Amino acid sequence: MGVTPTMLGRAALVFLLLGFALPGPAGAEPTEAERMARWADLRQAIFGDRVVEDAGDLVAVDVPARAEDAAVVPVAIRAAETLAPEIRGLYLIIDNNPSPLAAHFLLGPIADAMEIATRVRIDDYTYLHAVAETADGRLYAAARFIKAAGGCSAPAGKDQALALERLGKMKLSLADRSRPDEPVRVKLLISHPNSSGLQMDQVTRNYISADFMEKLDVTYNGQQVFRLESDIAISEDPTFDFSFRPSDPGGAGVIKAEILDSSQRHFSQSWPVPAAAQM
Amino acid sequence: MAWYQRGMPSRLRFYSHLGAPTERQTKYLTRPGLLLFFAGIIRRSAVLAAAVVLGTTAGRAETAALAVTEIASGIFVHNGVHEEASAANEDGIANIGFIIGDQAVAVIDPGGSFAEGSALRTAIRARTDQPIRYVVLTHVHPDHIFGAAAFRDDDPDFVGHAKLPGALAQRGDYYLRRLHGTLGEEASGTEIVPPTVLVSDKLDLDLGNRHLILRAHGPAHTDNDLTIFDQKTRTFWLADLLFVDRIPVIDGSLVGWLKQLDELTAISADRAVPGHGPASVPWPAAAEAERRYLEAVAHDTRAAIKSGIGIANAYRQVANSERGHWLLFDEYHPRNVTASYKELEWE
Repeated sequence: MGVTPTMLGRAALVFLLLGFALPGPAGAEPTEAERMARWADLRQAIFGDRVVEDAGDLVAVDVPARAEDAAVVPVAIRAAETLAPEIRGLYLIIDNNPSPLAAHFLLGPIADAMEIATRVRIDDYTYLHAVAETADGRLYAAARFIKAAGGCSAPAGKDQALALERLGKMKLSLADRSRPDEPVRVKLLISHPNSSGLQMDQVTRNYISADFMEKLDVTYNGQQVFRLESDIAISEDPTFDFSFRPSDPGGAGVIKAEILDSSQRHFSQSWPVPAAAQM
Repeated sequence: MAWYQRGMPSRLRFYSHLGAPTERQTKYLTRPGLLLFFAGIIRRSAVLAAAVVLGTTAGRAETAALAVTEIASGIFVHNGVHEEASAANEDGIANIGFIIGDQAVAVIDPGGSFAEGSALRTAIRARTDQPIRYVVLTHVHPDHIFGAAAFRDDDPDFVGHAKLPGALAQRGDYYLRRLHGTLGEEASGTEIVPPTVLVSDKLDLDLGNRHLILRAHGPAHTDNDLTIFDQKTRTFWLADLLFVDRIPVIDGSLVGWLKQLDELTAISADRAVPGHGPASVPWPAAAEAERRYLEAVAHDTRAAIKSGIGIANAYRQVANSERGHWLLFDEYHPRNVTASYKELEWE
């Protein structure tokens, strides 16, 4: 691949910084037409001239209509059972964020695309777009509007000593699997500040360095479940809810998660998955 | 009438445009509690500004004094809550004040803006000529410490928790922008003042025949909470480790806070000063409601995590029995549950 989605994310970021003023106290709330134009520009920056179809009922992006905490907004991308097996990539785009391309999941053959969830920062009232890319190269977009603001520059790190001590540690929990033919449902917690670099130290007048997860690889018995290419929009202490269907249904195995962050740190952890009968 | 003018005496409303946020800013601040918090500051600043105008008319040019109550000999507390008690959604003012010894004065939290700090300083000068040798910054939240710049000319030690500089580095800019954005000119002069003396365990401040014992606490309300114990009157100034009537804000560690409460309530004192609530309350009885709330949040959030309820919906079934016991419950409770969920899901 000549141009990676992460590079595209950067391109979108640069585009945004050049083309749009960051939300400022004096600015007016964008009109619906302006929001549509923004999405058209982002779509062009990320997908070029490719056709992006309206997902209709095939894909949904679920967020609360109003976020209680703009720095920790749960978002779930859901795909219809008919489309899910075809999906090879999922893009999450937060139109009005400083870096709009929040996440790009590349799904392996054993991934179950019916639902994947995480938590994000939302900087201003915005549309979120989820775009599913199928194996034959079609793109399906779903949109949802959310009222939330201030999440990207909002202070994180309620307990900074703990954050440092726990950096890179992960926790995985498996949902009960009553039947072997059901997918394995997983919740992965990652301790990482995923800091946005948008907070200035008023005393030193320096911006606190951005420090975020760039790549997350999840495998099961060596087979790719997904690779995530992400950015500052993922909340502090990222979480991911996802599912996969082992090629040996109901069998035992090992889930492994590997992280590369923007400070070039690697973190890796593995967990056993007992056979379905034992669960 | 705009939201920030509600509850304001009508003769002062004409002045409030100075602190009025634009419509855009109002939209931008979606967290209602934050709005209310700033609304409190705006309203208070408007009162103050109007008082300055009236004072000038009467031939006195200095900043009007903040109203304070002497809750024990030499301990003065400004309590904003009384003014706001009838309008819960305007209630956002921290308890701040000062303690006078034989040789020096210690400010315990300089207030939420330069304007409030100046008014507090005037209140001190109306009572004593002792030098203001210490300004104690109990934690990073702006409603407590953003008035610090008003005391710069006194050249005091600015005393804070050893973790306060880190928290200010992370959050100060965000808080300051929000304050300026919301208050406009009323925020002028407000600056981040970093602590010059750090407390990592205990510190004894000698005010002259009066010792204040400062203690740095582990993560609880924030990760940089200080308490002050006045030995002379056995008054325990807990700042925001103690909320009374107004819902506690969990911005450090829920589990840590409960642990701190065990230690704090074991300390015997004749009275306590909460960061929000009445100026003086019985100790440790006044901590019971806070502990009950925090325990309910911990218990119910753990149950929500265990039963697989997501972070967005958890608050709906966490500590509902506490609604009705607290002012601003709906404004702060969901965020408290989000914070607690993020903390407890790692257990």
